[in-house]
Amino acid sequence: MEREILDIAIFTTIAALAATIVMLPPGIALAWVLARHRFRGKAVVETLASLPLVMPPVATGLLLLWLVGRRGPVGRMLEPFGLEIVFTPVAVVLAMAIMGLPLLVRTARAGFEQVTRRYEQMAETLGARPWRVFTTITLPLASRNILAGALLGFTRALGEFGATIVVAGSIPGRTRTLAVGIYTYTETGQDARAAVLLVISVALAFGAALVANRLAHVD
Amino acid sequence: MREPVRDTRESPRFELRFSLTQGTFTVAPDLDISARAVALFGPSGSGKTSILEAVAGLRTPQEGRIAVRERVLFDSETHTNVAVRERHLGYVPQDLLLFPHLDVRQNITYAPPRRSDLDVPNLTHLLGLTPLMDRKVSGLSGGERQRVALARALHSGPDVLLLDEPLAAVDLARRRLILETLVTIRDDLGVPLIYVTHSPDEARAVADYAIVLEEGRVVAAGPPVDVLP
Amino acid sequence: MTRHWAAVLVFVAAAAACASAQRQEVLVSAAASLADVMTQVARAYESRSGVRVTVNTGASNTLARQIIAGASVDVFISADETQMDSVRGEIVPGTRVDFLSNQLAIAVAADRPRTMRTARDLTDPAIKRIAMGDPAAVPAGVYAKAYLEKLGIWSQISARVVPSASVRVALAAVENGAADVAIVYKTDLASARRATLALAIPVSEGPRIVYPAAILRGGRHRDAAMRFLSWLRDAEASALFQAAGFIPLGRK
Repeated sequence: MEREILDIAIFTTIAALAATIVMLPPGIALAWVLARHRFRGKAVVETLASLPLVMPPVATGLLLLWLVGRRGPVGRMLEPFGLEIVFTPVAVVLAMAIMGLPLLVRTARAGFEQVTRRYEQMAETLGARPWRVFTTITLPLASRNILAGALLGFTRALGEFGATIVVAGSIPGRTRTLAVGIYTYTETGQDARAAVLLVISVALAFGAALVANRLAHVD
Repeated sequence: MREPVRDTRESPRFELRFSLTQGTFTVAPDLDISARAVALFGPSGSGKTSILEAVAGLRTPQEGRIAVRERVLFDSETHTNVAVRERHLGYVPQDLLLFPHLDVRQNITYAPPRRSDLDVPNLTHLLGLTPLMDRKVSGLSGGERQRVALARALHSGPDVLLLDEPLAAVDLARRRLILETLVTIRDDLGVPLIYVTHSPDEARAVADYAIVLEEGRVVAAGPPVDVLP
Repeated sequence: MTRHWAAVLVFVAAAAACASAQRQEVLVSAAASLADVMTQVARAYESRSGVRVTVNTGASNTLARQIIAGASVDVFISADETQMDSVRGEIVPGTRVDFLSNQLAIAVAADRPRTMRTARDLTDPAIKRIAMGDPAAVPAGVYAKAYLEKLGIWSQISARVVPSASVRVALAAVENGAADVAIVYKTDLASARRATLALAIPVSEGPRIVYPAAILRGGRHRDAAMRFLSWLRDAEASALFQAAGFIPLGRK
């Protein structure tokens, strides 16, 4: 019994970490593009990036299910290789990453917008090419916000439920996260177990918030 | 590493013939001169900084031509507009823009060096920066920051140094020292200057040619002794 | 010496690979209310046959959607016939069976116990709020409403009904006093600590509650699934379900 609870806690933390790592490159790229560029269809991109935030999580889960299920556009491509996403830990990480991405993008974008373009221009006058400007000036100056965004994404991933249960299911030892576990145990009257998972969830959220606070106050 | 032409006794050519409109007024210099240091003189708001920024490539004129030392940086007729990073200019704006997350050494060495005599040892000696090298830029005084900004601009071995009110944040006691250093840079190191200022004394101390601006219009141009108050 | 160890390593790795490839596994999607009992059942089957049974649980409509999207589920056990009907295109012909049944029950708070003789007692005006699963979506609610309509008292009490997202929520409402009674399954009361039984609707009178089960075409282990489903309806598994309060429907 306790073994299962420990496994759920460890699995959820690792999956949330993986999801945070997965969402960082596209999140930073998207945040930078939205902060710095104007282009046709920008409003559409902004809306799409916010969609998981405003849609009910279950709806996002259903969309994902359609996409990566064996019959869907992405799932169909993976099938010949024997790869299936639904009901696997990959689906858990995917759901977590998609739900956390909008939060990361928002926070990182604000960070990029705060980095005055003039520092970047100064770097240009010193001969730096765009990639060097980005990695040596823009990114470091926005790093505090990006970190905060990553933490937000991580916390969201930890608590993610609606999309996860649809696209990953609730399979003990494989896809049952803390949030999904709380739901499943509650639905079957195993309140004591649900309570333990709840305490662990709160403790993890507290921990994440503490780290976030530390980062905000350093300096 | 391309060693640029160094003519410490010759006066390089400056071609600044363009029209730049921003908001309500237009700045339209029309010069083709040879000088070792050009002063852009006038009250605030007269367009001096805009001219500097046009040379640096941070603003694009509507039409005209900018060439420094026989190198064309902008020409609206041939659709030439050299990218900022390829102009090989040392730009020191009024607010210096020292990179806050890098220390003094990292700021100075940000640009890859292009001249062997403008390397770190020479620059730190010239500008008295040796004790400051590992300090964070946020803890420096106005004069120290100014010298770091100068060193950073020079480290890239620029074809010309663009200075916007460089003495504004420096206390009176040290101003002379910096002016003397600039003259050394101009003559011994052979780096020509374009120097924006509202102080006639500074312009006279550093420049051999001055342009007087008023609300974007060039009202006088010539040797400082002739045109400055 | 090193060469021997290398050979042993290769052999062990190959053996392990073979073993895992041959190791059978059955993926079952089961209604949420069965989560606990299915865990026990799965464990029992694994120790008996060596076949691993992986159980995915959730709301029956969610499970159905996953199946329709192509998830490779071997066996589906739904909480009502509607959801099983919705995946009829995915069912291996001839494998759908009526698997379990349940009993409706009326629950009250444990510190305010009462017994009812019939469900008609619900019309008592002293009962201000009746919690039950949403009759539009939750199987238990669907059954409850059908039963009350059959009794002819639905229109009388429907204004006092509080539809809940799930049976657990309905029970919780009663446990903390937000509702006076809840209509749930008898199995739900087994684990409730602050609610007790007021009346169990006799099976003969109550609605025909059916948990259908079926083998799905999208599954990857059809033979193992067939054997598992067959075992589920035999004596050993039936005993486990009964102990949890479910009513095995056995073979006809």
